[in-house]
Amino acid sequence: MIFPVDAVERTDHETASTNVYDAVVVGAGVSGAIVANELSKAGKSVLILEAGIGDGTLESYESYVRQFYATAFKDNQSPYPPNADAPMPRGPDARKIRPGQPDASAYLVQNGPFSTDTTYTRVLGGTTMHWEAKALRMLPQDFNMRSEFSQAQDWPLGYDDLEPHYRDAEREIGVSADVEDQAYLGMTFPEGYVFPMRRIPLSYLDKTVAAGIDGTRVELDGHHYELKVRSFPQARNGIPNPDYDGGNGYAPIGAVSTHQVDEGGRCQGNNNCVPICPIQAKYHAGKTLAQALQNKGRVHILNKTVACKVHIDPDTGRVTEIEYKSYGDPSSPEHVVGTVRAKIFVLGANAIENARLMLASGLPSTSGLVGRNLMDHAYLLSWALLPEVAGTMRGTNCTGGITDLRGGSFRRRQAAFGVDIHNDGWGWAMGSPYTDLINLVDAQNRFGPALRRDLIDRISRQLQLAFMIEVLPSESNRVTVDPSYKDQLGNMRPVITYNIPEYTMRGVAYAREFARKLYQRLGAADYTMYDPTDYGYVSYEGVGYVIRGGNHLAGTHIMGTTKKNSVVDSNQRSWDHRNLYLVGGGSMPSIGTANVTLTIAALCLRTAQQMLRDLDKQAAPRELATH
Amino acid sequence: MTTAKITTVKRLHEYLHAAMKIEHATIPPYLTALYSIHPQTNSDAVHVIRVVAVEEMLHLTLAANLLNAVGGTPDLTAPEFVPTYPTKLPDGEDDFEVSRERFSKDCIKTFLNIERPGKAADEASRIVTMDEDAGVSMLATVPGEPELRFYSIGEFYTEIKRGLKYLRDELHDDLFIGNPARQVGPEYYYSGGGEVIVVTDFDTACEAIDLITEQGEGLGGGIHDDENELAHYYRFKQIKNERYYESGDEPGHPTGPELSIDWDAVYPIKANACVDDYPDGSELQEAALRFNASYADFLRLLTRAYTGNPQLLLGAVADMFRIRTTMTQLMRNPIPGQHGVNAAPTFEMPVLVGAAA
Repeated sequence: MIFPVDAVERTDHETASTNVYDAVVVGAGVSGAIVANELSKAGKSVLILEAGIGDGTLESYESYVRQFYATAFKDNQSPYPPNADAPMPRGPDARKIRPGQPDASAYLVQNGPFSTDTTYTRVLGGTTMHWEAKALRMLPQDFNMRSEFSQAQDWPLGYDDLEPHYRDAEREIGVSADVEDQAYLGMTFPEGYVFPMRRIPLSYLDKTVAAGIDGTRVELDGHHYELKVRSFPQARNGIPNPDYDGGNGYAPIGAVSTHQVDEGGRCQGNNNCVPICPIQAKYHAGKTLAQALQNKGRVHILNKTVACKVHIDPDTGRVTEIEYKSYGDPSSPEHVVGTVRAKIFVLGANAIENARLMLASGLPSTSGLVGRNLMDHAYLLSWALLPEVAGTMRGTNCTGGITDLRGGSFRRRQAAFGVDIHNDGWGWAMGSPYTDLINLVDAQNRFGPALRRDLIDRISRQLQLAFMIEVLPSESNRVTVDPSYKDQLGNMRPVITYNIPEYTMRGVAYAREFARKLYQRLGAADYTMYDPTDYGYVSYEGVGYVIRGGNHLAGTHIMGTTKKNSVVDSNQRSWDHRNLYLVGGGSMPSIGTANVTLTIAALCLRTAQQMLRDLDKQAAPRELATH
Repeated sequence: MTTAKITTVKRLHEYLHAAMKIEHATIPPYLTALYSIHPQTNSDAVHVIRVVAVEEMLHLTLAANLLNAVGGTPDLTAPEFVPTYPTKLPDGEDDFEVSRERFSKDCIKTFLNIERPGKAADEASRIVTMDEDAGVSMLATVPGEPELRFYSIGEFYTEIKRGLKYLRDELHDDLFIGNPARQVGPEYYYSGGGEVIVVTDFDTACEAIDLITEQGEGLGGGIHDDENELAHYYRFKQIKNERYYESGDEPGHPTGPELSIDWDAVYPIKANACVDDYPDGSELQEAALRFNASYADFLRLLTRAYTGNPQLLLGAVADMFRIRTTMTQLMRNPIPGQHGVNAAPTFEMPVLVGAAA
């Protein structure tokens, strides 16, 4: 996919500030890219403000890959250089929080009591630059949590409303899956629908686990659930399905580059999907941006430009302009200030940054809910050694898992979860395979053939199950700002107050027992150990667990039916500021057990249609400058 | 005037076996140049050479589909399927040799010769008489008439097309009698640019041949093929000119961004290395023999894939990673006693029985 060579350079701040665009979009992640693409397809002019670096060249992408290969600590953000002007949370930032003493040592100021290691990425492409690319739909019951389970609140739209947009999203981000695998727990597809590409095959490790547990029955809340290892839908290029689009097929979108490069049209099984696919077979928002830049409507991008204030007309409540700070050298505080104007404004900067920007602009909304109801999936990891070599470490990162407990009547009482089988072994929990090597060499003095043998014995039998556990909205889990905590540019940093709700902890406790049961069936030796000194350590009913963040941020500007119970309407339009859209995970009133990106993409595709209706209603306030 | 008409199915099979041989013969030189480049450097050149190498594998697969379609049986393990380098490819005026050598300006010059577009001046010069240079291995000689060879790879395929047409008119339904189960379809093969074509009749056979020739030299004198993909010749030109072509450019006038090439970030490997260049019993020699054994295994796997087991190609991707690893292992190591010259894989086939440690 060609990214026009001068796309980022050709827009200067002077041009941007003299234009009145149809839309100004804050954030060049998946939400912003989809909105920009849909609007410019219809001929609208769009300016995107991206806080971080990035320019769409293959050189910059490959510099990220090189940085990842070279770094010793391979966390989600390791490909991306530190940027004091647009800082981002990093995995190793999290510290244990002492009561009453917020940890302000890193970008996120953490009030606790739970210390989260959740992250999001601030570069062109946003968090799709480190995501795993699982592309699950939410279940129909996930939209009706209040009416079905007396929990959280119902969405103002249902599965059937979103279903056509899910299909569009599956095309936009290129999903590989088979409908036969995905039609479960009420998820429906129109007659004859196939995904753009066939499913990514289950790994040998998945099949080994399946051989041991398929058909196992568990009882929960009086119901029996039969377990099955199932393939996950993924936004990663697989074999195109010739039946897609009524027999027209699908052409996978490969690597983004400023010149022709034929790469990334198929996943090669490299096993570092998280954080970065070396060949761009995994979707990232740059692919949609590249498309947007070739549409008939003009799309301008300003990178290294941090939106810092949303200005409102006090009489109408409408947004008049967005103020930004633009920097050159990410290590220097030097910057220039400017403003940009448009008919509509779109904040697509992720749940934490959208809330931060609104609150820093003094706009908590009528409901007072901006920043509240912060959600993120809680991950419980569990790890064991299988009795036989199972080929662990053959990519991609995750191909299969157990999804049978994503839904059911038990959700009245406890959180649902999905289970990932990690093809990268104990990587997330224990730092494998690097830590295995260090241990064998340093502590066990292995070398030569004995070292090779022991490495294989130890690594290719590893089984790590990651339980992705539902977290419900809670008003006390929130993002705030505080003038005493600012970044280098003087922008207020997000302050996070977060606790794992009891509903989730009941799911956590059940997940731990569930893992034990699976290991018994598999004859696997359970090595799971939760260290009380870990920052993510949480006790529940006398038992300790370590919870990790899921990077599935949501809920800080939830959608609802009135301006009293929500920040945005079902089109992600602000109740208070009618030419302002807050898009992305923040609009989701609950997150179920689906990784959020596919739903975010579907919502943005739906919202873009409303934006076009809005724009068509508005008379052009003045001539557009021609540049 | 010299003529070489394909008038029998037997002769057609010989031509298609030769086609597979030609398509494969470019792969060891392309891979050798590609992997001689220091890891993590020369991204621009690496992408260009990699894509061409991958598409040569597509051409190999298309040639196998063609041979299978007319009832032949591909065999990549046949004696002399892999040439001894340096070898000659068919070319009319300026004879040149193809070597397994490191990435360099000379090597790109050779690659440009391999992919060079151009038709013979007239019917008479399509096929030329071979010179007396008996010491050099020869590819794409005219099957059945070993003293003749074609002006270019394009002319060689033109002859196959003519033969197919002639035989179709002669034999009608008795030409495309191959087992369709032996065809490799898109579900088993992916190349990055261009899709594998299942060959079942004259039209699909011509499509497959056109794809091979257009991907090499471009369509109708332009820089792109039918699918708006840059032809190999112009891809290599980009390295030579250190500038990218953009869609819509004319040959010779690239307007894209610059490539950045570091000609020195390359392992100084021995050109056309052979096992005998490495000290007897040395680890280097063992590694070279192991590589040849694994490459022979790979050719056996491809033979099985092309004779009714296309699903084996999915697993062959992992073998390509292994081939890369073992090739670069050799290239990182200097040859003892040869100051400043590194080893390289030797691609000497067939593997001597019992030679591998």
